[in-house]
Amino acid sequence: MHLPRFRHLSAASFDEAVRLLNEYPAAGLMAGGTDLLPRMKYRLTSPEVIISLRTLSADSPSVTPEGDLVLDPMMTLTAVNRSDMVRERAPLLSEAAQRVASREIRNMATLGGNLCQETRCLYYNQRHSYQFVEPCYKRGGEICYFIPKGKKCRAVFMADTAPPLISLGAQIKIIGQEVRQIPLEDLYTSEAEKPLAMASGEVISQILIPNGPGNRGAAFSKSSLRGGLEFATLSVAAVLDMEDDGGTCSRARITIGAVSAAPLRVRKAESALTGKRLSKELFSQVADQAAVEIRPIPHHGHTRAYLTECLRAGTRHALCSAAEGIDFPGFPRSRE
Amino acid sequence: MKKRPGKQLLELTVNDEFYELAVEPQETLLEVLRNHLGLTGTKEGCGTGECGTCTVLMGDEPILSCLTLAMDCRQKEIRTIEGLDRENGLTVVQDAFLQQGAVQCGFCTPGMILATTALLEKNPNPSQEEIKKGLEGHLCRCTGYNKIFEAVEQAAARKSRHGDSGSV
Repeated sequence: MHLPRFRHLSAASFDEAVRLLNEYPAAGLMAGGTDLLPRMKYRLTSPEVIISLRTLSADSPSVTPEGDLVLDPMMTLTAVNRSDMVRERAPLLSEAAQRVASREIRNMATLGGNLCQETRCLYYNQRHSYQFVEPCYKRGGEICYFIPKGKKCRAVFMADTAPPLISLGAQIKIIGQEVRQIPLEDLYTSEAEKPLAMASGEVISQILIPNGPGNRGAAFSKSSLRGGLEFATLSVAAVLDMEDDGGTCSRARITIGAVSAAPLRVRKAESALTGKRLSKELFSQVADQAAVEIRPIPHHGHTRAYLTECLRAGTRHALCSAAEGIDFPGFPRSRE
Repeated sequence: MKKRPGKQLLELTVNDEFYELAVEPQETLLEVLRNHLGLTGTKEGCGTGECGTCTVLMGDEPILSCLTLAMDCRQKEIRTIEGLDRENGLTVVQDAFLQQGAVQCGFCTPGMILATTALLEKNPNPSQEEIKKGLEGHLCRCTGYNKIFEAVEQAAARKSRHGDSGSV
């Protein structure tokens, strides 16, 4: 399959990328290229200029004096997974990076690119040149072929690394006309046609994971049709911060991926955990609450009922796995 | 009149040979390998990163040549199936694939061999799970994978018997 014609420019730094983006406002920004190039091959987008970041070398992860972990968005997912610092401070991010697609794609795809992934839909992500029908919402039309009664585009955001980072409370630094730092959660607009709250001349230049309390349990759970080379049917990232006594949860964050145009936090389910002693029964109740709180958008042939069950099971599984990492002798371990 | 982007100069190393080429900006590494250099061992499967057939090694790591722009390979070292070190015509991995019947139509084989080579360079003694994880990005429509996993195990065993002196 051939790519459409374009002009290729390499940016030697994020600042240069911003300058080039201002010079060519319609240009496409490419990090690893594993999301953009297939869409270009399908002719879903055909920018006349590609600004490539692929030759930029990523900085190694570092820790600030306050104990926050700083990640370069140009790190490949393989590098994220292999980094001892990430594994120690954000094990669920390391796990999520390992679950993305395949080894070859993880060697190319970057963390920043994964966070900026385009929303996906079984109908939209294919070649349309031989379909002589009106374009769908995401292609500029006024119809949805996947949910025919739909009043707007229902494509789903499916990146695996976003839910763990949101559960970890990550911030991102964006450079453009000005430098701003926002919580990663605020990057997502929940609008499938424009999923990212970024202007065309902006680039993510840094990802910051705040230092967590000493006693913290965290886990990532992804369900997919196949074990590998597959987008998530649904993903759950759970982080449990514990009181000093070890058994009481002081703050919980649970983020669900691949259910909407943005990764969603289940705030009622989170608050049902706050101040409680952990138990398997509590986790079941919280999982039921999460399944009520979110109405998953059916995608890729999965029905809403199936996704709701995946959500319930995934949340319970992620919470149980997170509790295994906590220094808490009273909690029953699944392996015992 | 609309101005078309012209060819750009690309310098890269493929299989230890240095090349200076003029390529179109939209050409992928796969197209350059096959159409400019005649290295047709690398195959195009899906073209969108879903099958692993076009895998080549950049440095020591397997990547997909169909999703890599040739212009992003400036000054990089690429290894293709043609460039593997061979003893008696075949590498240990290729020989194991033949002996175990892991090749039927052969279309996925170059990608499988390169991914296995990279896997065994990083991890000379992989478990079943590690083999599956290492080859997760490669589809084979003929063999049902078991013979491929057996071939990887045989190659790993033979390599560890011969020590690190033999090529993978």
